Amino acid sequence: MPLEFLLILVIGGISAIAVILHLTGRSHRAVLLPEDARAAWHRHFPDDMIVDVTVAHDGHAALVETEQGPGLLWSFGADTVGRHLRDFDLLDHPQGLRVLFHDFTAPQVTLHLSPDERRDWQARMTPR
Amino acid sequence: MTETLSFPDPTQLAVPFFIAAILIEFLWIAMKKRGGRYETRDAVTSLVMGAGSVAEGILLGFIAWGFLMVLWDLTPLDLGTSVWALVACFVLDDLRYYWVHRFGHRIRWVWASHVNHHSSQHYNLTTALRQTWTGTFTFMMVVKAPLVLLGFHPALVLFAGGLNLIYQFWIHTEAIGKLPGWFEAVMNTPSHHRVHHGRNPRYLDCNYAGVFIVWDRMFGTFVPEQEDEKVDYGLVHNLGTFNPLRVAFHEWLGIWRDITQPGLTLRQRLAYAFAPPGYSHDGSRETSAQIKARHLARHPQDRGTPGFTDRPPGPAQGLRS
Repeated sequence: MPLEFLLILVIGGISAIAVILHLTGRSHRAVLLPEDARAAWHRHFPDDMIVDVTVAHDGHAALVETEQGPGLLWSFGADTVGRHLRDFDLLDHPQGLRVLFHDFTAPQVTLHLSPDERRDWQARMTPR
Repeated sequence: MTETLSFPDPTQLAVPFFIAAILIEFLWIAMKKRGGRYETRDAVTSLVMGAGSVAEGILLGFIAWGFLMVLWDLTPLDLGTSVWALVACFVLDDLRYYWVHRFGHRIRWVWASHVNHHSSQHYNLTTALRQTWTGTFTFMMVVKAPLVLLGFHPALVLFAGGLNLIYQFWIHTEAIGKLPGWFEAVMNTPSHHRVHHGRNPRYLDCNYAGVFIVWDRMFGTFVPEQEDEKVDYGLVHNLGTFNPLRVAFHEWLGIWRDITQPGLTLRQRLAYAFAPPGYSHDGSRETSAQIKARHLARHPQDRGTPGFTDRPPGPAQGLRS
């Protein structure tokens, strides 16, 4: 197959599929309820004992207090990803907070938080 | 001896079919409201990984080709290019695939290349195309050596490998349930391969087959899909990025960081590269065997059921990052 034709096919195909998926609502991020967040955290960390779950007002992130330490769960497309809050930097962000994990597989998360949430989460996420 | 021989690259020729099949699967799921899930960024990442994999083949394919041609010059055998030679090559190459795939889950150096294929939390036809960009660096082309030395021309071997990959495309779907018993007994199917993509403790490190599931049955790595345990797709520690560069290279970077940390013995450094994924010198990570053992500690009733039939493992067996 000529390389030019292959390139057009690949770029056109990927673009067409992306547009179709987006226009049919497949770009929505998962929205979490507290019970969803609990189940999702246990899916990622089945041995953790969850003490408390606080879901952000937009439903796209949850602060999870466990007996193993605090953790952050966030919407990752239609699914979720979780990380324990052990090795990270916390930055101010106009819409809330930005978490920079020192983790190549999960570099950063932007948390959309109300001013009250922001104060609360910042206090609870900051390593003591 | 067959010196100049060329076959078309079946994976490149199949690109239009891949695109059409993805659209058909998506439409079917959208209309029926069952049979799988699609998510835009996940699908785009998978497709970009597929395109990158084709590009890697174009750019670096000469390395495997050159190696196999050296062997071809050495061997006195030539089985020709008859249909029977192609059939025999296809079957033996599938056995080769089984072992390369098994190494891909049991040797971290090879897992570093293969991990991206398991990095989606979705399972649809785009997942099939989430292929490696770094396969050449695993040097797994050496497992093709016996085929060439037996008298199969390198072009035939690569053609058979391409057909093998095309077969595996259609089994990456939740839209197809279980197929007739005789087919499930012999062939790799969507049901068998769903299990392979599972992160459930029960489903870790099994069903390595490409085309014929008989290899897993023969070598004791077969686990059937359980009606009462839905497959949970993805990695034990799922990625938090859709960036294809991070998807492609994260485990290689992990190996580099692990083997260069101070205070390790040479044996420990080598183990970080070549032991099963998840090895750690200080026990801070978990192996798939340890994950299974931990599951059994919580759910002892599962002992002896599919996926939990092995003896209690030693600390260095069966790992997953």
